[in-house]
Parts: sequence; structure tokens; C-alpha cells
Amino acid sequence: MDLSIFLILLQDGVINGAIYALLGLSLVLVFTVTRVIFIPQGEFVSFGALTLALLERGQTPATIWLLLALGVVSAVAQVWQGRRTLSARRVLAIAGTDLALPAAVAAVTMLLAPMKPPVVVQIALTLAIITPMGPYIYRMAFQPLAEASTLVLLIAAIGVHLALTGLGLVFFGAEGSRTEPFSSAMFEIGSLLVSGQSLWIMGVTAALVAALGAFFELTLTGKALRATAVNRLGARLVGIAPSMSSTIAFTLAGFIGALSGVLVSPLTTIYYDTGFLIGLKGFVAAIIAGLASYPIAGAAAILVGVVEALASFWASSFKEVIVFLIIIPVLLWRTWGAPVVEEDDH
Amino acid sequence: MSTPASTDNAAGSVSGAGVETAPRGRGARLVAPLAALAVSALIPLVPGLPQFWITLLNYIGLYALVAIGLVVLTGVGGMTSFGQAMFVGAGAYTTAILTTRYGVNPWLALPAALAVTGVFAWGVGAVTLRLSGHYLPLATIAWNISFFYIVGNLDLFAKFDGISGIPPIAIGGFAFSDGPSLYYLIWGAVALAVIATLNLLDSRVGRAIRALRGGVVAAESFGVDTGRARILAFVYAALLAGLSGWLYAHLQRAVNPSPFGLNASIEYLLMAVVGGAGSVWGAILGAGLVTIIRDQLQDWLPWLIGARGNFEAIAFGVILVLLLQNARDGLWPHVLRLCKARPATRCHHAEAGELAPRARSAGEQRADAPVLAVRDLRKQFGGLVAVNDLSFAVGRREIVGLIGPNGAGKSTTFDLVTGVTPPTSGDIRYFGEEATGERARVIARRGVARTFQHVRLAAGMSVIENVALGAHLRGHAGAVGAVLRLDRAEEARIFAEAHRQLGRVGLADLADRPAVSLALGQQRIVEIARALCLDPSMLLLDEPAAGLRHREKKQLAALLRQLRDEGLSILLVEHDMDFVMGLTDRLVVMEFGSRLAEGTPEEIRNNPAVLEAYLGGVA
Amino acid sequence: MKKAFRIAAFTAAVTISVSALGLIASGSVARAADPVRIGVTVSSTGPAASLGIPEANAVALLAKEVAGHPVEYIVLDDSTDTTKGVANMRKFISEEKVDAVVGSSVTPVTLAMVEVGAENKVPVVSLAANAKIVEPVDEKRKWAFKTPQNDRLMAKGIADHMAANGVKSVGFIGFTDAYGEGWLEEIKPALEAKGIRLVAVERYNRPDTSVTGQALKLMAAKPDAIMIAGAGTPAALPARTLKERGFKGPIYQTHGAANNDFLRVGGKDVEGSVLPAGPVLVADQLPDNHPSKKIAQKFISDYEAKYGKGSVSTFGAHMYDAGLLLQAAIPAALKVAKPGTPEFRAALRDAIENAKDVVYTQGVVNMTPTDHVGQDDRARVMVQIKDGAWKLLPASK
Repeated sequence: MDLSIFLILLQDGVINGAIYALLGLSLVLVFTVTRVIFIPQGEFVSFGALTLALLERGQTPATIWLLLALGVVSAVAQVWQGRRTLSARRVLAIAGTDLALPAAVAAVTMLLAPMKPPVVVQIALTLAIITPMGPYIYRMAFQPLAEASTLVLLIAAIGVHLALTGLGLVFFGAEGSRTEPFSSAMFEIGSLLVSGQSLWIMGVTAALVAALGAFFELTLTGKALRATAVNRLGARLVGIAPSMSSTIAFTLAGFIGALSGVLVSPLTTIYYDTGFLIGLKGFVAAIIAGLASYPIAGAAAILVGVVEALASFWASSFKEVIVFLIIIPVLLWRTWGAPVVEEDDH
Repeated sequence: MSTPASTDNAAGSVSGAGVETAPRGRGARLVAPLAALAVSALIPLVPGLPQFWITLLNYIGLYALVAIGLVVLTGVGGMTSFGQAMFVGAGAYTTAILTTRYGVNPWLALPAALAVTGVFAWGVGAVTLRLSGHYLPLATIAWNISFFYIVGNLDLFAKFDGISGIPPIAIGGFAFSDGPSLYYLIWGAVALAVIATLNLLDSRVGRAIRALRGGVVAAESFGVDTGRARILAFVYAALLAGLSGWLYAHLQRAVNPSPFGLNASIEYLLMAVVGGAGSVWGAILGAGLVTIIRDQLQDWLPWLIGARGNFEAIAFGVILVLLLQNARDGLWPHVLRLCKARPATRCHHAEAGELAPRARSAGEQRADAPVLAVRDLRKQFGGLVAVNDLSFAVGRREIVGLIGPNGAGKSTTFDLVTGVTPPTSGDIRYFGEEATGERARVIARRGVARTFQHVRLAAGMSVIENVALGAHLRGHAGAVGAVLRLDRAEEARIFAEAHRQLGRVGLADLADRPAVSLALGQQRIVEIARALCLDPSMLLLDEPAAGLRHREKKQLAALLRQLRDEGLSILLVEHDMDFVMGLTDRLVVMEFGSRLAEGTPEEIRNNPAVLEAYLGGVA
Repeated sequence: MKKAFRIAAFTAAVTISVSALGLIASGSVARAADPVRIGVTVSSTGPAASLGIPEANAVALLAKEVAGHPVEYIVLDDSTDTTKGVANMRKFISEEKVDAVVGSSVTPVTLAMVEVGAENKVPVVSLAANAKIVEPVDEKRKWAFKTPQNDRLMAKGIADHMAANGVKSVGFIGFTDAYGEGWLEEIKPALEAKGIRLVAVERYNRPDTSVTGQALKLMAAKPDAIMIAGAGTPAALPARTLKERGFKGPIYQTHGAANNDFLRVGGKDVEGSVLPAGPVLVADQLPDNHPSKKIAQKFISDYEAKYGKGSVSTFGAHMYDAGLLLQAAIPAALKVAKPGTPEFRAALRDAIENAKDVVYTQGVVNMTPTDHVGQDDRARVMVQIKDGAWKLLPASK
């Protein structure tokens, strides 16, 4: 392997790593706020990419029906759960977020989709369709389990993952899709050929990381989210409802997932079940970060991407073996580095 | 001074899925399993029963074996594993390779399959089980994915196409190749696994495994090697998976990597959790439920939806979430409630012989050296000096109190002398023997027992089982003995001892209550009984009187005096001044990590420095 | 004691009600007069869903009546999972009392099903391609047949084309699964026979998002041509990466890639690729004297009438061919015994083994006791992708 090959692989790894990083960040966010290891995170990537692909072809994506259905179920679930304390205002708010919003998104999509709008509009539509699924899924699946153990929440997450993957197969079929790149520009840096699309990915990832950082450091909502992550009871005592912060966390998860899908879909073919494997690698990064630290999750994700790229060059049939076995020493190192804590997981 | 009733409720709800172990009364112990056995033996004989149901039951049995292993590992031991399918694969491939390539009889391949699985699990566990928290599930995911691709890419395992033509299991000329005969073989294995698992959990080793969830520090302080307990649970679960794999290979007659991938591991975990990971019966229920739901969905969905589509996974996912929302501890506890079953009560063998006293070291038997001598003990956390060159000693038959304002370093001192954290510098001696930096379970062997400021009782265990954990070092039975029930005499003695100690602290009538259902003050007393079970020479008590009512404090003080008079030395950290002043022989007062004063309660009461620093605000 | 009793009572109650249900279920299945029952298990979900879905779709086009006897098809999904496939197989045999089984979509699942088929003496018609399923025909494989062309036949087509076009060295990239493995095994001897060197072997996973590393490694070996062994749209990714990295040589695909989604996703990146395929892929371009032309066109028009324009694929054709094979064999078996009997199943097996000149959508079949595929060169055409469409290449000499 010479330097130019190494650089190409490095570039390839960093780009893939950036997507893993986005998912890793999202997993850390959801876990710290809600204790849910959000396995279905990857499905949002697939849904985002394939929805965009359908819009690009001028077809109305079936995901809008899912959005409507999830909205209705979420509304019913909320009204049922809060049936004793329900005020007219609350009902109106639920109707607004869970019924009117998806209906509006669906209507606009059905109107615009056959007209093949410019790519910016397609992307905006995709994000608008996928993002609200995050909070709806939270309210249906996880809110009723808020106090359950991490293990139960994990299994519930697997249930959601199974259902969403199945829906993906119904909506999009078994074959994959790929979208047109936002930019077909190519830049030459030394011996390295860099595509405009990869710069987009890096740029958006960096911007999103910065935005998340600013959100957590500077805004009141962000601080509230962090407070919930540190201490659920404490957060409640100072007037932050955990269900509110959870809703925000899942909204962000939906948004980041859909955005990752939009970003990655011009680079590679996405299938209804691609999300799981991408999500798993994001999960690897998140775990290396102890499900706690955003910068470490980001760095670990890039590391996973690079190791993967190098492994696919050296020993492609054992690529997954290499990628996954290499994390065990990392985990051991992380364990030894961390103080021994009693695992009080009840 | 209060015993908040709300604590009880909170704690009680936490206990949720208590672990089931074999009830002790001989009659009760046998009736339920025998009845189950009799009923299940009759199933294949029911006339007109569709043969496919037997097939389904066979698969359920195979899955149940793995899920039972997960009960020990995850439900009881608290270690989440996404790697069980890999161990099923290890068992299945071992027997597939031996029987097809070397013509080995399947029965001879069984021990080989178990040995390979066991060694493999031990290797994986040795590397992986050190991992804390969420690292462990991820590591098992990593192992399982790697296993899948390694098997799929190596000629040894015939790559992705796998090995076919595996012979059926046979006895003499009779081959277990049709549904009903395999049914007896598989469910025979399940029955054995259930008995072995119930036996294991209801034993000295089982208590160690059960203490892993939320009780590691406490278990270590009674001499339990929790690392060993973890690996034991891991290997045990893997062995059951390997057994399932052996059966699977001979039922399926062909193996390839796909049934041993990550998805299968997820499915096993899901079965255990849905059924109720706290109980072996839950595991069987879960395996049955998941298998039957999947099969029925395949039959009914096309009929319901009217179109053939791939909706099974969707429906299954939704059902799974709904099940968990309505039964987060799994379905088994609900079934039990339906049957209005009460937790089993133990019949305590008061007539059992005495448990042999703990072997005492030479130093412990000598009378000259102080029981505990601390010299220039120092602990720094970064720039913060928590304990600053502290020296003190505790003599024979002496009650010494360690007091001081909040943040004086009492708790840190306690952690140092009990081996929970190592000191930065200084010297700790028990009975004149060097013990600096020794780990908690080594210090326990020296005859030092302790209680905790924040009560550490294992949640899934009853009061008496928690107390029996204290006698861990006085027993010797291992896992094999437990599974084969060779440990009954020793167990009876351990429980008689636990019962005796509970009686000594006045809580004998609460022996069978779930430990966490007791009031906080009572839980502290249970901890003392547990400590006494070690047959200690020294007791270290961390705020034993907190949460006790006035009368209870008096009883506690009387008990501690009695213990001293019987020859024990006691060091206690306490906030309650009345309690300390009335009880102790000597006091060590700490401030800012250093010793401020030392003397009899009378001297301390009149020490101007103490009055100034400690009681200053009051005086 | 009480608890024990309750548990026992509960268990007993469950058992009794379960058995009762079973009795009702088994009793209530009223059967039409002597229908021939065919169990179909395909991988409609899981990694091989892109094969299993068109296969399941094609079942609707199969003959509903043969020689006056109704034919019933029971379709199940095995999720590309061996355990599930074998369970389906057992369900077919014990519960549905089928006379033959068609499936499954991939080799590992089918291999395990063949064991059960042989044990219960039920003919199995495989839709998976690997020759191991039917070769060598022994006591067990006596019951196994297969409609897709042997990879060997396809590999030979590729090797011939390469030799005719002056390719001296080849790089291979295939799925890290049974499909890629099966192809690698077949292409090696085919290339050797033509004196072509295999200079690099790389693998990738179906859902991989990048194969840059593998592409660079392949190109470092400087092969004249590269062949990609993948099924469906995932086969397009290596082609694209190779183009991106500047590979100029010819690219060969396998017949697994032959569906319209592959063209959609591959776009200009797969332009010029050459692959072997069943004649059905280019039915309209076949010479009029090709035996499969008519039936292939009929299959395509029926399929697309039901599932939409452009939805047809060769995988569906394998299922259709399985239907044709059974249709040809059932009349002979009916003369021997009544459907639903072991004698009928044995007769059906014999009839399939003696099937002669059965015209598939993909060639003509003559089974023999040693050949349970029965195809010849007519089952394969070479195709090139031109202007985003399949283009039949003239037969090479």
C-alpha cells in the first residue's frame, strides 16, 4: 500500500465515519436523556434516503402514510394516558402536533411530489416527513415504559426496529436506491480526488456537531436536556418535565437520522435494511464513548470508519471481524480507565 | 430521625421480578415439576394433535434451553449478552464436524460439543467480562458478528453453505429422527436444565451470582470473588446454549452460519425478557410465546389483511412493544399472580448441624497485637487530601467510634480499611499483619466483616438469603456440587447459621420477606446479621443506627455490647452522638481528614478542641 | 404446596386447551377432492428478500389445474433463515400434507431443506442455484431438483466471453455469503480451462456503503477485467466505485444482478457490463426459433400485467419454471396414485426425474437420474447493458 492509496482509504473512512458520528451522537443524546438504546436510529437513515429517492423520481413516498398513522396513534395514546388531567388546551396542542402537522406535511408532499421540485425542496420535504416520526415513536413505544429497566427499554427498541424494518420492506421493496449528488464537483488536493458530496458530508457533520454543542451550552432547552441526562429527579424538581426533554431528544434523533440518510444516499445504494448496520457502527462509537461523551463518540466514529476502510483493503472477507474485534481492546482500555462503579440497574 | 414509609414502597416495586429458586419443603419441591413432567410427557400421546405442533414444541424446547441460560446470566446475574447464538453455533458445529467428518457417535460428540463451548465461553468471558456497564453487551455483539463471518469464511466450517448430512441421535438401533422421539429428547434436556438451574441458583455459588446485580461491593466484602461468579454464570449460560446447539444440529441435520448470527442472539434475549428473565419458567414461557406468535402470525396475517405481504415482522415488533408495556417484568410474574402463588417459604433446618467456624489465621489467634492498627494513612483525590496521615488503633474486645463533622473523611477512612479503595500511602494492619491495599474480599478472609452506610442488600433475594451470603467463606460447595445437590448438608448448616444470626438481631420472623421490602432501619440490622455470619473477629459498622427508632437503637447498643463481651472488636462510624457516647469505649474524632482527638467518651465530651471544632455551633 | 398445585393445574389446563384447539384445527380442515398440494417457501424477507419477493409473486401465475386436478399452493416466508426454512418444510409435510415443496431462494436454507425432504420422501424443487443442492445425486439428493441454471453453466459463459475478447487476467469481487462463495468456486475452474488467471479476490457485504478498499486492491493487481458476483442492486456498488477510481477494463456481472432495479441504480456506471442470464431476460430479442421465446414472453406479460411494468425479474422466472416442471410431471404421477399419498409423492419424484423436453422460460430441460437440473446451453444467453437496457449478445463460438 502506498501513500496515495492510504490517503484515498483515509478519506473514504473519514466520510463513512462522519455518518457513523452523526448516528453515534444521536444515540448518545437519546440514551442520556431517556436511557433508551435507540436501535431503530438506523431505520431513519434508510427511510430518509429512500423517501428522498422516491421524491426524486416524482413519486409520492408511502412514508407519508406512516407519518399520518404514527401521528394518529400517538395522539390517541397521549389522550388515553392523560385522560384524567386533560385540558382543552392540551387536546388542541396534541391535535396540532400529532394530527394537523402530519396532515399538512402529507398534503404538501402529495401536491409537490409529482412536480419534481428542486432538490432543496425535496430534502426539506424528506426531513419534514421523517423527523416527526421520532417523537411519535417515543410517545407510543417508550413513554409508557419510562421507568422500566434499561434492558426492557432495549428490547422495546428492538421491537420498534423490527416493525420499522418490516415497514421499510413494504414501502420501498427489497432493492435499493441511490440519489443524485447535491454537487458533482470534484476537487484535486495533491494526489487526492475529493468529491463535492464528501465535502458536503463533512461540512454538515461539523456544522451539526457545532450546533449541538451550542444548543447544549447556550440555550435553556439544551441545558435542561443536559440536566435531565445527569439527574432525572433533579430536572423534574427544577421544573423540567422528562417527557418534554425526551420528546426533544427523539425529535433530534429523527432529524439527525433523516439528515444522515439524505447525506449518504448519493454516495452509496441504500436498502430498506441498510440502517441497522450503519446504526450498529454508530452504536459502537457511542458505546466507546460510554454513552456519555459527544466528542469521544465523534472521534470513535471516525476511527471505526477508518479501520473499516483499511480492513476492506487488507482482508475484505474478514472486514467485519476486524472492525468488531478491534473494539474489544478499546473497550478494555476504557474499562480500566474508568473508575469501578456499582451497577445499580433496576 | 424517621423511617420513611415511602422508601419501602419504592424499594418494593424495584424488587419486581424476584428470582425463583426451588422451594425447600421436599413435598412442594417435587410436586410442581413432577406434575409438569407428567403433563408434558403425555403431550405427544394426545390423539389428533397436529404433528407440526410437536415440531413447534421441539423448537420451543431448543430456544428455552438458551433462554434458561440467559436467566442465569442476564435476569439474575445482570449481564446482558447478545452472544448466545454464537455458543449455540459452537455446540452445533462441533458435533456437525465430528459426526460428519470423523464418524463420531453423536453421544460421544456431546461432551466434546459442551467442552468446546465451555472453553470458548471461558476464553471470551476472560477477555470480555471485565468490561463494565454497556461495554459488555457491545462486546458480545462484536464477538457474535465476528463468529458469524469467521465461520462463514473458513473451510473448516464449510463456509456459508454449511455442513449437511448430520446423522440423527440414536440409541442402539433407535434413531431420534421424528418429531415425537425428538420431543422427549429435547424436553428431557429442558427438564434437566430447569432442575440444574434451580439447584444452582439455590446454592452458595448461586447466591454469589444473584448478588452480582447491585450487590458486587457487598458480595466482595464477604469474600465472594465476583469476577469468578460472573464467568461462572457466563460459562453456565453458554453450556446450555451449546447443549441446545448439539440438539439443533441433530434435529436440523444441517448447520450453516445463518442461525447463529446476531439476529438469533437478539431473539434469544427477547424471549427471556418477554417471558420474564427472573425465572426459568419465564424463559420457557418466553420461548414458547415468541415461537407461537411468529408461527401464528404467518398463518393468520394473510387471512386478516387479505393480501400476502411481509407484515409478520411489523406485527411481531408491535406485539413485542405492547407486551412489554403491559408486563415489563415479563409475563411469568403475571401468570404467577393469576395462580395467586405466593413466594415459597423455606423450612429452616434448625436441627441442622453447626456450621464450622471460620478458620482463623495465626495473627487472629494471637492476643498481643491490636486488631486494627492504622498508621499515617493518607488518601488523595487529585489535589484534595481526604485522609491526612491518620493513625489510630482498635484493640481486642473494644468498641471504637469514628466521629467527625460531615466531610471529615470518615467514610473515606472506612473505604480504605475495608479495601474498597487503596490508600495513597500509609499502613493498615489487621492482627499485626500487613493488609495495606488488599482487596475487600481478601480482608474479609482476615475475619473482618462490615456493613454499609447505603444499605447494600441484593434486591432479588430474601432476607435470609442475603444473610446467608455472609457465610460465603464458611462454605466450600462449588457449582457442580450445587447442580447435583451434593451441597444440601452444608446448605442446611449455612441456613441454620443465618437463621441463628437473624434471631440474634431479632429479625427471625422476617426471614422469608424480600430483603428490600423491609424498612431501612431493619435493612441495616439485616446487614449486621449478614456480617455476623462471617464469624468475624472484627466488625466495621457504617452508621448502623441511622434510620432506627429509639427502642431499636437501645436494642442495637445492647447487641453490640454483648458481641464485644463475646470477644468481637467493633469500629463504627456514627452521627448519632447519644448512641455513640453511650456505647463506645473509645472515640477517634476526625476533622479535615486528620485526627483531632482521641479518648474515652468522657474525655471527648470535655475536650475543648472537639467542642470548638465539632460541637462549636451548638455550644 | 398450594402454589405447586396451582402451577400444575395451570399447566394441565393449558395443555388440554391447546390439544383441544389442535383437534379442532386438524378436524376442521376440509379438503377439496384430491387436490395436488405444493408447499412454497421463499425468502420474502431478510437478506435475500430481493429474490424471494418476485418468486412469491410468480406463484400467482402458476397453473391452478393440471390434468383435471386442482393444484393448491401454500406460500410461506422463511426470512432467509435456515431454521425457519426447515420449520416451514416440516409444517408443509406434517400439517399441509403437501406433495412437493418448491424453495428456497438461497443455497444454505435449501441444503437444510433437502435433508428433511429426503427423510420424509417429499420432492423438493430448489430455486437456489448452487450445484451442491443436486450433485451428486445420491440417496438424499434423489429427492432434490433445481430450476435455476448451474452457476457452472453461467461461469462457463463468462469465461468463454472473456477468452473471446482477449481477457488474460481477472479480478473477482463477490458477496461475503453463500452467493459470492458459490460463484468463486465455479469461476475458478472455468477461468483455468480458458487459461485466464484469477489475480485478485475480494469480498463485500450486501449492505456495505463503501467498497473503495476492495476496488483499490483489485486495481492494484491490474487485471484485464473484473467480475462482480452480487445479487440485485448491491451488485452496482463495486461497478460504480471501479469507474470512479478509473478502471477502464470490461466488467462482468452475474445473472443475480439481472433485474430492472439494478439498471435503475447502476445507471451509467453499469453501462457496457456483460453478464450471463436466462433467456427470459431478453425474451423479445431472442431469435424466433429459440424454444423459450414464447413462454418467456407470456410469463413477462402475465407478470407485468399483475405487478406493473418493468417489475419482472429472472428470479420470478425460476418459480414459474418450477411450476412448469411440476405441471409436466404431475399427469404421469396422477396415473400411479392419488395426491396426498406417499405413492403419489414417489411417483411425482420419478416423473420429474424422467421429465423430457420441458420448455422453461429459461431453456429446455431433460432430467436424468444423474442430472437433476437437466439444462444445456440453451438455458443461458450472454447479455450486455447498452443504453440502460439489456442487449442480447450473439452466441459466441
